[in-house]
Amino acid sequence: MGNCFKSSSNDDISLLRGNDHHDPALEPAPFVEPPPPYRPQQRMPIFHPSPGVSRPANQLTEDEQIKIAQRLGLINHLPTGKYDGTNKKAKECVICMNEFVFGDELRYLPCMHCYHRECIDDWLMRSFTCPSCMEPVDAALLTTYQTS
Amino acid sequence: MANIAEQRIKREFKEVVKSDEVSAFNIKVELVNDTFTELRGEIAGPPDTAYEGGKFKLEIKIPETYPFNPPQVKFVTKIWHPNISSVTGAICLDILKDQWAAAMTLRTVLLSLQALLAAAEPDDPQDAVVAQQFKENNPIFQRTARHWTCAYAGGPKSDKELEEKVVSMKNMGFDEHKARVALSTKDWDVTRAAEYLIS
Repeated sequence: MGNCFKSSSNDDISLLRGNDHHDPALEPAPFVEPPPPYRPQQRMPIFHPSPGVSRPANQLTEDEQIKIAQRLGLINHLPTGKYDGTNKKAKECVICMNEFVFGDELRYLPCMHCYHRECIDDWLMRSFTCPSCMEPVDAALLTTYQTS
Repeated sequence: MANIAEQRIKREFKEVVKSDEVSAFNIKVELVNDTFTELRGEIAGPPDTAYEGGKFKLEIKIPETYPFNPPQVKFVTKIWHPNISSVTGAICLDILKDQWAAAMTLRTVLLSLQALLAAAEPDDPQDAVVAQQFKENNPIFQRTARHWTCAYAGGPKSDKELEEKVVSMKNMGFDEHKARVALSTKDWDVTRAAEYLIS
């Protein structure tokens, strides 16, 4: 077959491979293709190695990957729970501003502020501080370890 | 727009509309389109400052990642302030950059901007010319800021002398706004302002 269908080989999957991947057969056409249709399953997770910086997982440096892995580990150490209405003070998640509903997955920070797990995890990947009181989460974690 | 961003802005919009600050005519938010990606804000100049009596309009853009990233805010109304560009209206304020937190809201942003008008940070300037005047010739800075409040933000008329200087340069054939910028930059020296505009 001729090279008339060159662009058809430049499919979505090529976007998931690393940037350093060079296969002459897959060399993109000189013009920029329109973006592929939205397909959630094929999307790279986006990470935020530092505030204001957002990059897909395949474009992170090694240091950034380590930092993100450490951050994920620390976040997983923070206690979680389900909303059962016993905490009268915490009625809504200040990130999404929705009221807690029975059974919602919550995450508690060392400063005792709590949020929807999904909301706060997204925030903590960008900034490791409590959005309400600005308490740095890792510093607070260390003090709780020392006092306990 | 991502669902969480739109949902939050809708809630915040209601929060601001029924807040005490709105009923006291201190802050205001309006929708520009029905997708909640762009809003128009307004803050009143704080009392006992050069901005007293003025109404300052703001352009507010909500990023798709809101509230994980701050809203993009700039002044539409021209203003003479060390932390706000007199040309573009861009604002230098930490909470709109790296000190943003997801628990902050449109209301707290507008109130912080009002606080910034009352307490400038000349050592962290957005507009170097204004910041220098603020530090080195504060009385002239105060008069200039008051004059801009009157000229662009509907503030009370106050300074005949400065107004006359702008008019005299207008009569020389200069554009009014350019003349005002030149005079403000050159500490209201008509000769130096004219030279500045010609060069």
